[in-house]
Amino acid sequence: MAAQIIGFDDNHQRISTQVLLQKIYHSLEAGETEFEVLSSGHHNIGGPLWTEDGSPLKFTVKNPGQRVGSFGLDGTEIVVEGSACADAGWLNAGATLVIKGDGGDTTAHCAAGGKIYVAGRVGVRSGALMKHDPAYEPPQFWVLKNTGSFSFEFMGGGIAVICGYGREYLDSVLGDRSCVGMVGGTIYLRGPVSGLSDDVWLLDLDEADRSFLAEQMPVFLDKIERPELLEKLTHFAQWRKIVAKTLEERKHHSRPTMREFRREKWVEGGIFGDVVRDDYEQVAGLVNSGDDRLKVPHWQDKRYAAPCQASCPSAIPTQERIKLLRQGKVKESLELVLNYSPFPGSVCGEVCPNLCMDACTRRQLDHPVAMKELGRLSLDAAAPTPRADSGKTVAVVGGGPGGLAAAWKLRLLGHRVVVYEADKEVGGKLMQVIPDERLPRQVLRAEIERIKELGIEIHIDTPVDAPLFEKLRAENDAVVIASGAHNPVVIPFPGHERMLKGLDFLKAVNAGRKPKVGERVVVIGAGNAGMDVCLGAYAMGAKQVTAIDVQRPAAYPNEIEHVQALGGKILWPFFTEKITDKGVLGKDGRLLEADTVIIAIGERPDLSFVPREWLSDKGMMAVDGCGQAVKAPGVFAIGDTIQPGLLTHAIGTGTEAAEYIDTFLAGGELTAKKKPDMIPQSCLSKELFRPRNRGRFCVTDAMDETSRCLSCGTCRDCSMCLEACPEGAIRRIEQADGGYEYVSDDHLCIGCGLCAGICPCGIWAMELMV
Amino acid sequence: METVKVQDITANDLPWVIRYDASRCTLCGSCVAACSFRAIEPKVERRRMVFSEGDLPEPKQRFSAVPVIRQVRNLTQYCRGCGICTKVCPNDAIAPARNPDTRHPIVTRCVAGDSIKRGGRKNLEAGTRTLDKLRIGRISQMTDPSLDAQRHTFDLLAPFGRIMPPGKLPFKIGTDGKLEPDGQAPPVRWIYPVVIGDMSIGALSWRMWEAVAMAVAYLNEECGLPVRMCSGEGGVPVRLLKSKYLKYMILQIASGHFGWNRIVKAMPDMVEDPAGVLIKIGQGAKPGDGGLLMAQKVAEHIQAIRGVPKADLLSPPNHQGLYSIEESVQKMFLSFNAAFKFRVPVAIKVAASATSVSVFNNLVRDPYNIVGGFFLDGIDGGTGAAHEVSLDHTGHPIVSKLRDCYLAAVSQGRQGQIPLWAAGGLGRAGDLAADAFKMIALGANGVFTGKLILQMAGCIGNEMGRCNACNTGLCPVGITTQEPRLVHRLDPEKAAQNIVNYFLAMDQELRKLMAPIGNSSLPVGRADALVATDRGVAERLQIQYVC
Repeated sequence: MAAQIIGFDDNHQRISTQVLLQKIYHSLEAGETEFEVLSSGHHNIGGPLWTEDGSPLKFTVKNPGQRVGSFGLDGTEIVVEGSACADAGWLNAGATLVIKGDGGDTTAHCAAGGKIYVAGRVGVRSGALMKHDPAYEPPQFWVLKNTGSFSFEFMGGGIAVICGYGREYLDSVLGDRSCVGMVGGTIYLRGPVSGLSDDVWLLDLDEADRSFLAEQMPVFLDKIERPELLEKLTHFAQWRKIVAKTLEERKHHSRPTMREFRREKWVEGGIFGDVVRDDYEQVAGLVNSGDDRLKVPHWQDKRYAAPCQASCPSAIPTQERIKLLRQGKVKESLELVLNYSPFPGSVCGEVCPNLCMDACTRRQLDHPVAMKELGRLSLDAAAPTPRADSGKTVAVVGGGPGGLAAAWKLRLLGHRVVVYEADKEVGGKLMQVIPDERLPRQVLRAEIERIKELGIEIHIDTPVDAPLFEKLRAENDAVVIASGAHNPVVIPFPGHERMLKGLDFLKAVNAGRKPKVGERVVVIGAGNAGMDVCLGAYAMGAKQVTAIDVQRPAAYPNEIEHVQALGGKILWPFFTEKITDKGVLGKDGRLLEADTVIIAIGERPDLSFVPREWLSDKGMMAVDGCGQAVKAPGVFAIGDTIQPGLLTHAIGTGTEAAEYIDTFLAGGELTAKKKPDMIPQSCLSKELFRPRNRGRFCVTDAMDETSRCLSCGTCRDCSMCLEACPEGAIRRIEQADGGYEYVSDDHLCIGCGLCAGICPCGIWAMELMV
Repeated sequence: METVKVQDITANDLPWVIRYDASRCTLCGSCVAACSFRAIEPKVERRRMVFSEGDLPEPKQRFSAVPVIRQVRNLTQYCRGCGICTKVCPNDAIAPARNPDTRHPIVTRCVAGDSIKRGGRKNLEAGTRTLDKLRIGRISQMTDPSLDAQRHTFDLLAPFGRIMPPGKLPFKIGTDGKLEPDGQAPPVRWIYPVVIGDMSIGALSWRMWEAVAMAVAYLNEECGLPVRMCSGEGGVPVRLLKSKYLKYMILQIASGHFGWNRIVKAMPDMVEDPAGVLIKIGQGAKPGDGGLLMAQKVAEHIQAIRGVPKADLLSPPNHQGLYSIEESVQKMFLSFNAAFKFRVPVAIKVAASATSVSVFNNLVRDPYNIVGGFFLDGIDGGTGAAHEVSLDHTGHPIVSKLRDCYLAAVSQGRQGQIPLWAAGGLGRAGDLAADAFKMIALGANGVFTGKLILQMAGCIGNEMGRCNACNTGLCPVGITTQEPRLVHRLDPEKAAQNIVNYFLAMDQELRKLMAPIGNSSLPVGRADALVATDRGVAERLQIQYVC
């Protein structure tokens, strides 16, 4: 006889859950193992309870409250006669719970063991968080009809069977959105289902599933006393099962990939397809070869002039001359210079201030390349062979350095040239005014001889006047005015008549007339000519020479040093008031005592032989960019007749005019040629050259300069680029003419710019593509 | 002898200094090949050592010349700290380091005689944000259980369009006593509360812009998130205008009116209405200033779509017309409502300002029911190009201003009628869900964001001066450039996918924030859910101070 546990007191008042449960505990302690509980919504009936000897407990409950059978242990069976409230079988740890009616919400919630059989429906969230402890049998949860929504959320294990009996008309026997977060276990179900979460698969049964159901279904139906349904519920084709996706499967989304979306659903050809050409399939890296490089290298040999070449008024490309020397092509090298100037020995080697050396990159390392020595190397070089006779004749007015340079170049270009010289000797100021100590005469004469030997006709003692000029113009295909500047400029200070003119003085010195000077000499003008005058004055016996100027002296430092070495002084700024018998009186009252005062502030050309209208406002020949007189086609002017300058300027303009005349004589149109730009220093990797110790420096052999020249702008063929290229993209290609080039392979090059960054000569340049 | 003069620009004048370890470098060339700013270059360095090894001084020398990578020292090609060099270096041999002693702000102005321009966001006061002082502090528990973020049905929708109060809806009572429609109600679109904010086809590369558009379409079509994107001003690709995806686009009109010719011409071919129209009056990053697209980004297709030659494109700071400001605004609202036959909501975007509440109050009256939203953009917003002084020093923070506007509407009983949308540095710390949620709790209906979208796609810029070179057109990741070779770096599919994924993550996170406070729909104005850890912020925003 089971213990009767009544949920009411003697007055038919409901007792509390606590009192009811105490009654059960007392009976249990008294040895009862079967209980018939008449509840009135009392909770937590059925567990966790046990017996000392392990004999089973059985509860039959009517009208239970929430959580009937919760925490139930193995050996406990609870049968609810009728329906149960929420949380029936909650945290079931092994009990068998039979609900003959419906289960409430969250039936079998967190069940981890035992069996729960429901003869009707269950509410929402049923079976949620069911688990399977592997040390025990998995929990089973059987429902004859259907569950509410959100069931089996976060289910981690165990078995649920939802038979869907009589619920075929529903959209879903699991309500809506069940199985969210389900990670384990199996749910068998019969009947329609929808709104399942993405966390699970809905599958057909396999053989093991069928045998499980076939074996357990009778047990269930027996418990809920509906054995007659066995046949109906064992058509396994009507059944499916739900299992959780595995960890790996969970990562997979059913959505299309973005690629699929773009190709299949997005606007065809892309929304910019009509205005931009772009293949979206191609995605560049951060580093690319080929077309997506940000920079592309170009090997630009001789794109820029070296500083020496660009700064040389005669435009001599010394870097190329040295390259030839380096290659062992000595003859070619020495001849090369003669294409630019017939005076490499006299001018480059002796009197030129060598602007090339001021500009020389090597200067920044130790000393500039020794240009004077290099110039002298060409002193004995044979003249290049002139081109074949053109049949044209050119007259050159003036046999100075400019006129001779023009004549020389014209002759080399194959023209007949006649030089008209007023003096008894050609050479102009080189011969007439440069002191012997600055230009050994045998050097000059040797070079003049080389000019004459080229077949240039020279008429000395032939000053050109207007009638002769007209005649020359008529008889020749072109005329070069190269008469220089021989009218000294004199400032009409009071007492200016006391002054000697520098040019006349120097001419007298060089002609051997030994002009007299006093012990104290003041030279007005501290430019190049002024320094020559100073030297001349010392040579003529002066004891103290002082050069004055109104501004910073224009002479070159080596010229000034030369004078200072002899004891000369340079004074500036000094503004002359007047010249007296005592010397030069300054505007500031200073008196420079002088026995002789010489003025050397420049000379003007005497162009009285050409029509006045050919001249500029300043009295110079007005010429265009090609050296041709603006007013007289076929007449070219060079040197000091167009602008006062150095000897090298005269030579440069002479050579240049000769080239224009060559074009002119061939009937070509004259356009001013742009001189190549000087290479920017930033392009050069000077660091690759080891500076020599200045303290020990001395030029012993001009040929040795080949190792010091950086070869700015001209490839020295060192192959640094080829070695440094990280992609091995650079090759050196020999050309048929014996030359070579370096080439970067676009398919390999990544545009890093290492070649350009380390090229000693600045040959590689990166074209910016972005 | 190195001839460096005082005024020469050297690396230590620049905002970033390249740290380079020659001993780790293999001269693979990657860094110099990848640097779009040309801020590093290969060079040769001399190494010279004078030493004596014997017992007596016996001087010897060792000399070598070594190719290295070196920082370029000038004011146009200087390092922006983008770190692409570090990214591509196989050996960790190179990296930019922030230079706290930079003289860049001074020397740039001294040399150029021109204002400094850049992109990005405000670079001052990085790290101190009002929003970071707010927490969602009212957690539902026990008696008002919080919701289950994963399973609960949330309604994450915000209105774009004029919301009429019930009494003003165009209904009448018919003869049979039933309600009948009586006229056209203003159009309202219920959309995702995060709008992708207005970045133009000139500001972004075509790949990036298309990636955003594609991500938006994907979010709608494949993920069910009704996200909308604002075109930015500067034209909309015609193919998009004629596609069904136009329905996800909010078309922008700003003072330059760029690109509207093609929009108007495309109208007969439109198969969908656009999601809305946004009239841009101001921008948070550079309030009081007009749009600026530097010439280097005005590519051919931009020239065509905008109808302009290659030049710096400056939009005027205000909408030009013969009208007063009020009339001008009215003109824009009326015209753009009419342009789409009153079927498309029209909203306005202004820069947050000390006067924003007045402006908002004016609009709230809205007698014609044509004001479909008030977009308020704060100082921390991003921009493709602006004068640095505007970026860093002009503008108004968004948080209190949004709150003020909301409370102004509340005091009139009109909250929600003109939807409030807020922006300006939201998601700056990478956490847009939290920022959006807080703004919504303070009274915003939704938020909009731009720069963060770029960061999703791969933008490496930040608010501590990193990169911020959108104006140069040399974006190293192909996002804000029109240079094909740089644009090719961006994978539009990956960029789109990242945006989609971020939104999916953010969507989860928004739910994770709504659940604890027990709101199923957006908690607009539920400032009781917020607490502030700063007393000043608490007082200003009228929320609870906690410590």
